[in-house]
Order: sequence, then structure tokens, then C-alpha cells
Amino acid sequence: MNIIDFIGLLVQDAIWSAAAAVGFGILFNVPRRALLGCAIGGALGHATRTCLMEFGVIIEISTLIGSTVIGFYGLVMARRYEMPVAMFTISAAVTMVPGVFAFRTMMGMLEISSADPETASLALVTAASNGIKTGLILGAIAIGIAAPALIFERPKPVV
Amino acid sequence: MSFDSSPILRQKPTLDREALRDVIDLSLWAGQLLLQHGAESARIEETVHRLGTGLGANWMDVLVSPNAIAVTTVSGDEFRTKIRRVVAISVNLRIIDEVNTVSRWVQTGGLDRFQVRKAFERIDHLPRQYDRRVVVLMVGLACAAFSRLFGGDWPVFFITFLASATAMWIRQQLMKRYFNSLLVVIVVAFVSGLIASLATRLELSPHPQIALIAAPLLLVPGVHLINAAEDLIKGHLVTGIVRGFTGGLVTLGIAIGLGLAMRLMGVWI
Repeated sequence: MNIIDFIGLLVQDAIWSAAAAVGFGILFNVPRRALLGCAIGGALGHATRTCLMEFGVIIEISTLIGSTVIGFYGLVMARRYEMPVAMFTISAAVTMVPGVFAFRTMMGMLEISSADPETASLALVTAASNGIKTGLILGAIAIGIAAPALIFERPKPVV
Repeated sequence: MSFDSSPILRQKPTLDREALRDVIDLSLWAGQLLLQHGAESARIEETVHRLGTGLGANWMDVLVSPNAIAVTTVSGDEFRTKIRRVVAISVNLRIIDEVNTVSRWVQTGGLDRFQVRKAFERIDHLPRQYDRRVVVLMVGLACAAFSRLFGGDWPVFFITFLASATAMWIRQQLMKRYFNSLLVVIVVAFVSGLIASLATRLELSPHPQIALIAAPLLLVPGVHLINAAEDLIKGHLVTGIVRGFTGGLVTLGIAIGLGLAMRLMGVWI
């Protein structure tokens, strides 16, 4: 793939993930003045992930790096707008939530009840591998958006 | 050991009965608003603690459980403990922002307990910022955008938009009538699946299955799942596990609804 196609792909990815982040921001009733911030966060995070995946990085690691970008971006925006970090990170990170993998896990689980043992064992494997993938990606998202807090805010236990 | 070194007795004037009652009432109210509208446990603990100590308590102990909050306030020799039951409603980040702003003002000494009560009364009755129709359109657009991210073409984009927007409208109508939320998920996933499978039945695109994958994404409990993972990382295991399980149940509901629709329409992903 040449460089122009690659940039075109990333720009498209950024635009559509920005649209998705705004849509979910409205569903979650994000304050109006934070909506643009959500869009940019979604675009940054998701485009970073897509870029890494194009270079052959596995989805879990790409998600971790993408959501870390969102986490630090959220920190900058939160300081600037004096709002909680979650206003910017949640709807931006929702664009990376592994809905498809989670859904395949559940479909696989329902199919285990199939009478044919061949189909059932195949469904079991589908459910397990998709389930673990879902868990890993979710963990990556959470670690990524919590990264600034985990690195900079380390309160000494008081009790 | 002298008590002076204890953080609990760092010198603050002792609150009288009425003031202490207000402090615990208001901080529980703040916690309730946050838990109801989708804040993670660490934020709830921090905000409630900040609010209570800002209003004059010497120390606050906060216990966040999945559907209740318990708070103990300490002031001088007096203490009070109170529990409030909380039912999670829906994600509403604006309320979290407003409560956070109030707690910050309190901490810098800008608000007393009477003003805080007024502020919470206002926040409790805050209307949704976005019109229902705007939400329907934008959620439809968001899912349609996902179909593009998954590599769908324009016919798939429009079918996904139609499916998700209709599904969102039905979801609003059912939620308004207080149906059980898992039941709503199954029905809404079913409807989105019915409309999205039109892409396959009418042979509108070389990859019509993408519509079926993208359309029910409006139901994916993203905030629950992210909060679950974040709670687990930060050591709030009970709330984390419960939230993760809730997210899993909702996902199961989506799979059931969509699976039924696919069987009915005779399409496969």
C-alpha cells in the first residue's frame, strides 16, 4: 500500500470514529462544550489503533496504546476545561469497546447447547477465544485511560 | 501515641448535630448521584470524601457497593453512619460533571451546606440537554459510522442507520414505560436485527453482514464494561465484578435478541 492510500485510510478512520464518539457522547449526555473534545479524542485513539494494526501489531497492544493516547489527551482537556477526565475519555474509548467480540462470545455460548457435539465443541472454542479477547481488550482500554492516574496520582494509603 | 498526629483529629471546629446531619446527608446525595449515573468507584469515593471534609467533617469513610453507599462522618468526638440504597439508572455524564464542580467549590471554601443543598436540588432536576429526536439521529449515525469502520459500503451504512435509529427510538419508548432493562435490550436487539438483515435479504451489498454487526452496537454496555475494568484495576473488586457481570448479561441479551431475529429472517453472520 502506498503512503497516500495509507493516509487516506487513517483520515477516513478518524472521521468515522469521531462521528461514533459524538453519537455516544450524546447518548451519555456529555456536556455540550465537551462534545468536540470527545470527537477529537475518539479520532485520535481509534486512528492510532488502526495505524498500529496496519503495521501488524496485535489488537490488544494496539488498543492499549490507542487508549493510552486517549487517557493523556483526556488529562490535558480536563485541565483545560476544568471537567472530570471521564467527560472526554469515556465516549472516546467506547469506539474501541470490543462489541463484536463480546457478541460472538455470547453467540458461541448459546450455540454450545446445540445437539450435535461437533458443532457444540466448535462453539465452545469460539466462545472461549472471543471471550478472552474481549476481556483482554477491555482491560487494555481501562489501563490505557487510567494510565495518567496510575502514573501521576499515587496516594499514600492513609488507613 | 498522641492523637494530634492522627489525620482524624486535625483541628477543625466540631460540628453541631444539625450540621453533621447535613454533611452526611449531602455527601450521600453526591455519592448517590454519581453511582446512579455511571461514575467509577474511585471517583465516587474521592468526591464524597472531598465534599464531606470540605463541609467541615474531620474525616469521611466511604464504602461504595454496587447498589448502596455507606458513609461515616467524624467530627470531634461525634460520628454518624448512614447507608443509602442506589439504583443505577442510565449513564449521564453531565450530572457527574456538575457534582464534581460542586465538590471542587466546596473544597476551596466557596459554598456552604445550604448552597450545596440548593445546587444538588438543581442538578437532580436537570433536564437532558439533547432532544430525544437528536439522540435517535446521532445514535443511528454513530452505529452507521461503526459500519464504515468495519469496512461496509454506503448501502450498508444506510441500512445500519435505519436499523439503529429505529432501535434507539423503540428503546426510548420502552424505557419511558419502565420496562425491565434486560427485556428492553432483547427487544431492541431483535428489532435492530430484523431491519439490518434486510441488507442481506435484499442483496444490497457484497458484505451485508456488516449491518448486522454494527446495528446493535448502540446497546453494548461500554460504560459498564470500561468502569468494571477500571474498578478492578484500582482495587474495587466487588463493584468491578458486579459491573462486569451486568455488562455480560446485557451482551447476552443482545445476542439472544439478534439471534432470534437472524433465525427468523434466515440470515447468518
